[in-house]
Amino acid sequence: MSSLVVTCRGVTRTYQQDAVPVHALRGVDFDVSVGEFVSLSGPSGSGKSTLLNVVGGLDRADQGSVLVDGTALEGLSESKLAELRLNKIGFVFQAYNLIPVLSALENVEFILQLQNVAAKERRTRAEEALVSLGLGDMQDRRPGELSGGQQQRVAIARAIVTRPVLLLADEPTANLDSTTTEELLAVLKQLNKQSGMTIVTATHDPLVMSYTTRQVKLRDGAIEHDETALPA
Amino acid sequence: MKLIFQLSLRNIIRYKRRNAMLFMAIAVAVACVAGMNTIIRGLQYDMMDAAVENLSGHYKVHAPGYLDDPSIEHSFRLPTGYVPDVPEESLMGWAPRVRVPGVIMSERETRGVQLVGINPGSEGISFITNVAIEGEALTGPDDQRMLLGKELAEQLETSVGRRIVIISQGADGKNRERGYRIAGLFDADGTALEKAYAFTGITVLQQLLGSETVTEVSVRLVDEPQASGLKETFTHYFADLRVFDWQELNPQAAAMFLFADGAIYIWFLLMMSALTFGLINTLIASVMERVRELGMLRALGMPKYNVVLQVVVESSIIMAIGVAIGLLLGYFMYLSIADGIDLSSYASSTDLMGISNVLMPRFLAGDFTEVAVMSLSLGVLASLYPAWRAVKIKPLDAIRN
Repeated sequence: MSSLVVTCRGVTRTYQQDAVPVHALRGVDFDVSVGEFVSLSGPSGSGKSTLLNVVGGLDRADQGSVLVDGTALEGLSESKLAELRLNKIGFVFQAYNLIPVLSALENVEFILQLQNVAAKERRTRAEEALVSLGLGDMQDRRPGELSGGQQQRVAIARAIVTRPVLLLADEPTANLDSTTTEELLAVLKQLNKQSGMTIVTATHDPLVMSYTTRQVKLRDGAIEHDETALPA
Repeated sequence: MKLIFQLSLRNIIRYKRRNAMLFMAIAVAVACVAGMNTIIRGLQYDMMDAAVENLSGHYKVHAPGYLDDPSIEHSFRLPTGYVPDVPEESLMGWAPRVRVPGVIMSERETRGVQLVGINPGSEGISFITNVAIEGEALTGPDDQRMLLGKELAEQLETSVGRRIVIISQGADGKNRERGYRIAGLFDADGTALEKAYAFTGITVLQQLLGSETVTEVSVRLVDEPQASGLKETFTHYFADLRVFDWQELNPQAAAMFLFADGAIYIWFLLMMSALTFGLINTLIASVMERVRELGMLRALGMPKYNVVLQVVVESSIIMAIGVAIGLLLGYFMYLSIADGIDLSSYASSTDLMGISNVLMPRFLAGDFTEVAVMSLSLGVLASLYPAWRAVKIKPLDAIRN
């Protein structure tokens, strides 16, 4: 059995911007093994978010192949891609993107409901996820009643409650202050270490990179540097 | 489903001011539709009752050829002890009659009329026992006096207690004539009735015409006879005769009855289609305000049908609340006019339409249910376009923006 969660081969993605082609990815080869904590960094327009979106099935490669947990994404229909995202991938966005009218607990539960998890189990798992992220006493608060860091932790709880094989985070700390950023990174690190959760995060924050086990730098749509950190 | 429902409900509360306006608009529209329905139904049933009371009943039996040549030649003998085969609780009453054309003469004027021989005890089913009478009413089938309409009496320049002469063709084909004293003058709302009929005892008219037969049997039911299947029963019993229902005997009133049915739907469509645009607009605004949220849900893997469901449920909840308030308001509207609407100022028009001067609105639970079902269906339909817009949201674009 392959230990690779993500396998990208020759991935190309070109956008049209005002009729001018923008080569976001130029034949990228990129693998992620189970249990890795990878940062994708690079200047704006380097292709890190595009690569993350292509791996997450939110965007499609023009050329090349992408395999997530052994599933090739190229031939999948929209609904199959949605199913894959729901069951295999957890997402954490820069802007938290919680549902404002639902409480923290309901936000986490909601995703389990989409998976048709039974009500009782849904409640238990959502509570456990929130407790594990230190939000046990804030379950009934709505996003508007939580700080940015707390909202992002709810977003992480929502992402991990489905027990995904891969957690993708797009600039998860961009809206947070440095203290909260460190707290959040500690949470991600703990998830990676204790649960063996495979995490790929796009960032240009050196602090985030310092928490990851592997740093991949992109420039002009290609991987410029791929370095695995030595164990501490 | 519970969370979808909860989410929809909370989104409605989230934009409470906008949705409160929408509830009000739906409620007012539904109340107007439901309230107006009771008035249209009142008109409709008034027209039907007027037609049925005008000696036709819900069903009527004639000899073949009578409608083309309404004379004593086209009459039939009613079996002794005949009683209509209708459940007792459904039967308001029935009446045998002799109705033939004749000439009525006073000392000064002559007019053509319908001579109607009746048994007054059976005529609770027709207008003649419900109208005001100046003088006296007929007392039985053997009453040898005559009851005329006020308008006819004016034309004949005669009055109660005076004598008139009747001429009609007897069963032997010869003209028969006889003098009658006027017992009373009836005052029907429609002057057409007052000019059309001259009543006397049925036995007396049979004697004049030299026949023991009747020209019609009229049956009136407690409620309207739609789909009761009674026509077949009568047709079976009177195999050699012709059975007509009230629509066949009063095609104009029947057409108006159907028109009123249609008017209810046209009225509903007019009111609700205008409202539907408002609902669609609000739902689109609601979807557009949540592009990011819906896009994120799609990004997380929410299936398209769940997005559709969310918008449809939201629309249905809005419609259900608005409809519930509207039906309640509509019922209060009905209660406020349940004692009748005085149309006496428009007497000439109401006479023309064959309805009474006091319009009694009619509440039919089925109409309210229909308004509720159609409104809710419209709510679901109205949500389809906004739902389609919601489904079209690309997760990546929504998150990026």
